[in-house]
Amino acid sequence: MPRQIRSFIEYGAALALLLVAWWYASGPMGMPKYLLPSPQATFSTLWKMMVDGSLWPHLWFTVHNIVMGLAIGAVAGIALAYVLYKLPRLSTLLDGPLVVLQTAPKIALAPLFVVWFGLGLAAKLVLIFSLVFFPVLIGALAGFRGIDSRMHDLAVLLKLRPLQRFWQIDMPAALPGIFVGLKIGAVQALVGAVLAEWISGSDGLGYLMTYAGATYKTPLLFAAVLLTSLLGIALHAGLTAIESRVLAWKVQDGR
Amino acid sequence: MISVSGLTKRFEMDGGASVLALSPVTHHIPEGAFVSIVGPSGCGKSTFLRLVAGLEEASDGTITLDTGATRRPVGFVFQDAVLLPWKTVRDNIRFPLDTAGAKKSEGNKRVQELIDLVGLTGFEDALPKQLSGGMRQRAAIARALADDPPILLMDEPFSAVDLLTRETLNDELLKIWKATGKTILLVTHSVEEAAYLGSDIMVMSPRPGRLKKTYSVDLPYPRTPETKALPGYHALVSDLRSDLRETE
Repeated sequence: MPRQIRSFIEYGAALALLLVAWWYASGPMGMPKYLLPSPQATFSTLWKMMVDGSLWPHLWFTVHNIVMGLAIGAVAGIALAYVLYKLPRLSTLLDGPLVVLQTAPKIALAPLFVVWFGLGLAAKLVLIFSLVFFPVLIGALAGFRGIDSRMHDLAVLLKLRPLQRFWQIDMPAALPGIFVGLKIGAVQALVGAVLAEWISGSDGLGYLMTYAGATYKTPLLFAAVLLTSLLGIALHAGLTAIESRVLAWKVQDGR
Repeated sequence: MISVSGLTKRFEMDGGASVLALSPVTHHIPEGAFVSIVGPSGCGKSTFLRLVAGLEEASDGTITLDTGATRRPVGFVFQDAVLLPWKTVRDNIRFPLDTAGAKKSEGNKRVQELIDLVGLTGFEDALPKQLSGGMRQRAAIARALADDPPILLMDEPFSAVDLLTRETLNDELLKIWKATGKTILLVTHSVEEAAYLGSDIMVMSPRPGRLKKTYSVDLPYPRTPETKALPGYHALVSDLRSDLRETE
């Protein structure tokens, strides 16, 4: 797998370069600590929180919300996409409203979600959901609409029941499109989760950031940001790994 | 086996106009026949096949399939294989059985027979993307035969494979026909293929699509490459050619 090794080296080199620049700016260059903590201070804060266990509830809270929001958003997005695909009339009818909803800045609506759904989990999940739902809807719809028409003929010839048809033909055939939506949605879900924690509550990586910012604990702030970035990379890598397993049958074009 | 009477198909266009794709066809196809349907594009040959398959609704007329209470009376082979790309060859072939709720052990036995019949032994666990066009088409034929439909409909099944493969597949199709005794309808635009395979030939012509002429072929079976040297074969091919030319 020389390709994988190469990309590993490339990513590693980029990361190392960033670390060195960070170390230089905070050390030899003499940036004040409250503006830019050193990598050592950041990692030692992170390490301390891992050892004393105060990190895990926050990390778990954020991960949990992302996964929940991603799952609910994905199921709802696929379900509506299938309904719209099956009922073209409804699809033309809902086209306008959906475009309006889709282009509405969901993040700007976050305070409204808090007003509507309270300070607890519900508002957070609604925000993440609203960010995941649309990319998955669009991806799934493209997937369903791109199904070879002769696969429909096959379903008619074999007299498949609606559920058989969904699970055996339509869903697998639309999976490539669904994954495109899911991967965009996962990044959005992370943004939504952190943002929701900024606004309210006292859990999660987002909360750690606002808390650290308000109390000038910049090493903690940096640690939280670092963890969030790592979480984003892990999400993307996880989805890509699932995708390459589930879509191994796909003919890779252009390579 | 198949009786059509006054079978007509009109396609409605946007704006209320309609195109006559098939003007009334009345014809009877006996059990166990191998019918080649030949004609230029736009003659309604594929439409005829899709009507028999139940993939299109007739605008007028009737189709009677003398197949008793068979749940799926026809197997259908498309121009391309249309295999499910996420399933292996074996799972594609057993797809009609699995979706009909057949027992697993029964299916296994049946599928192995079919794989041997179409010459895909050793490729059971391959994915469609790993197969050549000809092999994919073999798998598609096996799938169409999986739940043992009395009628096999084939819509230009070999037009996407190279000439050599096509000739091999023609011979294998004749073998399969002999081994299974199916009633086969095969649409083609090649007069040679129509003459080589068919026990009967339907010649169709375009604008509007209609059945122009039928032949009963008296070339002996089994047909082999030597058949193509017989004077009767050449006479038939040249008759078919002039039929098609008249339709231009």
